Amino acid sequence: MTGSADEVTNAPEAGAPASYGVSELAQLPKLGGLFTKGVAGSAGKRPKGAVRLPEVTYRVAGVDTAGEAAHLAAYQDLVGEPSSEVLPAGFLHVLAFPLATAVMVRSDFPLPLLGLVHLRNVARVLRPVRLGETIEVRAWAQDARAHRRGVQVDLVAEVLVDGDLAYRGVSTYLAKGFTAPDGAAAPDAEAPREEWTAPLPTARWKLGSGTGRAYGAVSGDLNPIHTSNLGAKAFGFPRAIAHGMYSAARALAEVGPALRGETYEWTVEFLKPVLLPSTVDVAIRYAADAAAGGAGGAQREDRAATGFVYDGWRSGKDTRHFRGTITPL
Amino acid sequence: MSTTPSPVPSTREAVIIGGNRIPFSRAGKKYVRTSNQDMFTAALEGLVARFGLQGERLGEVVGGAVLKHSKNFNLIRESVLGSSLSPTTPAYDVQQACATGLEAAIAVTNKIKLGQIESAIAGGTDTVSDAPIVVSDRLRAALLDANHAKTTGAKLKALAAIRPKDLAPVSPSTGEPRTHLSMGEHQAITTAKWGISREAQDEIAFNSHQNLARAWESGFFDDLVTPFRGLTRDDNLRPDTSLEKLAKLKPAFGSSLDTAATMTAGNSTPLTDGASAVLFASREWAEERDLPVLAKFVDAETAAVDFVHGHEGLLMAPAAAVPRLLARHGLTLEDIDFFEIHEAFASTVLTTLAAWEDEEYCRTELGLDGAFGKIDRSKLNVNGSSLAAGHPFAATGGRIIATAAKLVAAKAAETGQPARALISVCAAGGLGAVALVESA
Repeated sequence: MTGSADEVTNAPEAGAPASYGVSELAQLPKLGGLFTKGVAGSAGKRPKGAVRLPEVTYRVAGVDTAGEAAHLAAYQDLVGEPSSEVLPAGFLHVLAFPLATAVMVRSDFPLPLLGLVHLRNVARVLRPVRLGETIEVRAWAQDARAHRRGVQVDLVAEVLVDGDLAYRGVSTYLAKGFTAPDGAAAPDAEAPREEWTAPLPTARWKLGSGTGRAYGAVSGDLNPIHTSNLGAKAFGFPRAIAHGMYSAARALAEVGPALRGETYEWTVEFLKPVLLPSTVDVAIRYAADAAAGGAGGAQREDRAATGFVYDGWRSGKDTRHFRGTITPL
Repeated sequence: MSTTPSPVPSTREAVIIGGNRIPFSRAGKKYVRTSNQDMFTAALEGLVARFGLQGERLGEVVGGAVLKHSKNFNLIRESVLGSSLSPTTPAYDVQQACATGLEAAIAVTNKIKLGQIESAIAGGTDTVSDAPIVVSDRLRAALLDANHAKTTGAKLKALAAIRPKDLAPVSPSTGEPRTHLSMGEHQAITTAKWGISREAQDEIAFNSHQNLARAWESGFFDDLVTPFRGLTRDDNLRPDTSLEKLAKLKPAFGSSLDTAATMTAGNSTPLTDGASAVLFASREWAEERDLPVLAKFVDAETAAVDFVHGHEGLLMAPAAAVPRLLARHGLTLEDIDFFEIHEAFASTVLTTLAAWEDEEYCRTELGLDGAFGKIDRSKLNVNGSSLAAGHPFAATGGRIIATAAKLVAAKAAETGQPARALISVCAAGGLGAVALVESA
């Protein structure tokens, strides 16, 4: 296993911390309006004292997914998921993203939407969600804690079907320069840089300059750092960068429904951003093969049971972009 | 896991009478604007003429092309109609990437063995020079939407979705659909995994050119090749190449890997145009017509490997197929007189041989008790192979079968003992087809 999963809080129990109140929304909000609010609100959110998260869960009780057929098809086509009525974890992330964003643009959410760095994502599908099912979606922020460059926070999104937890996604973001509630320094402040040698690739992704716009159109995440070079420059990147979740979604799609199973965990840790356009070499390997140096057993069922590890890096260079795991549950 | 092979059911024999091909030509040279149908018809007509099959109704003609225009949906049947075979000869197309030609032979020989047909021609053709170029997916979607639209307004709306960049044509590529790595890059990864040296690869390439040149000089191909479009020999052949010249070439694949790149244009096959055809029959059919019987097409095996997530190399399926085929006949590598291992890349041959010599690999991946064995290199591709001749994908199987049949026939005639050839062809998609040919 890579180290991405162990650092993450992903409690098996459902729901937000007990102290949180619930705010009911009639429907999932539209991202466009939220971004406008988020951009306007970002300027006013500066580091001052320890951050304190709003103790509120946003909840939409009845989201009818029947109308998502065209959206799902566009998502599947873009990331390479096969045509299916079962919603991939990446699509559930996209569906719930506006609700999580609504939490982040609240005036009492202390961190600026623009400038948050997506560090990692851990998602679990605990039962398949099918197109046409009515789902409950809820989202909240929790666990503001120290990071060596500021404060990190988890945005949790859950999808329930008939009252049962079907999906739980934890997106961890970094706000640079902010202070954690306990004021403690991050434990990994002096963590040494890990030695890394690129494995033999299993795939090569040629990501064109329009990659960010294409995933933005499907996910609704039209953050300017992904959609335009000018927007990216404003935040210190030389060119537009690919959405991290696009890369992770492609890796998930390349493992595919047959090998990840109906229930699975999907993790990703983002290392260096993918500047567009770019050629990314990817190794999506059986965890057993990766651990044993390429000899994970002659039977595919044995290899696949341990799940997959994946790595992405700039073709021909040592620049690591992401790493993650896909594990049947 | 290895399973004990079932006894081979007893059937009658399928024999190889002879083969014919046109000289193979590097892409963009002699066969520019020559279609697959033109080339396959030429190979077929040469075979018909050689064995006096004009007006004959054969049991079946089977073949295919890897890069195929949609208008060529009945490529082989159309070629038959353009030949002097009887128009009552049925035909169909097959496609199994580079194993197309060998798979076609497996199909027709099975029908002969079962008594469903008495005679057949199998082969293949491919052209890179006349390859289909298609429109982009977005343009295609817009055109199809406009086609399906009922009203003029709806048609215009569909067409309005077309953007200038959608108009760029799309050429075929040798990229694997699931990995987006070219075949060369895939093989570079396998080469790195097995630690195959540049020198060993260049030596395979050098031998291929030397052996093919010698075979041409000795007249071996006189009754296997019909000149076409002014070409009388394979124009990729470099009789004057040397290990020194090969060593000077720059790497063409694997440059982004951590290990040194070893695969060059010299030890990789070039894109090539060409076609080939082989005549098979029951022994009775051949004898009735007083046709020569070169060899028996004894048996074949196909295999596939799990390459998508890097567990196995893309072109390693024959390494798994050969032990299964030989086990079914109680044979070992020692029993083989000629190894015809298709040189997709020099390193494909070498990684296959390395796998068979690796005890651990043979135990865990092939389910054998130990190493499969080491081959006598003097029996390998003795009259050259794809590195020298070129490799028009679907035409390679027919080229190899005809060569193998002639080799075993000559060896048996010389020694008075049966002679055997093993044919191995790797293919895109992690596929492989292998076959056993024995002197008649």
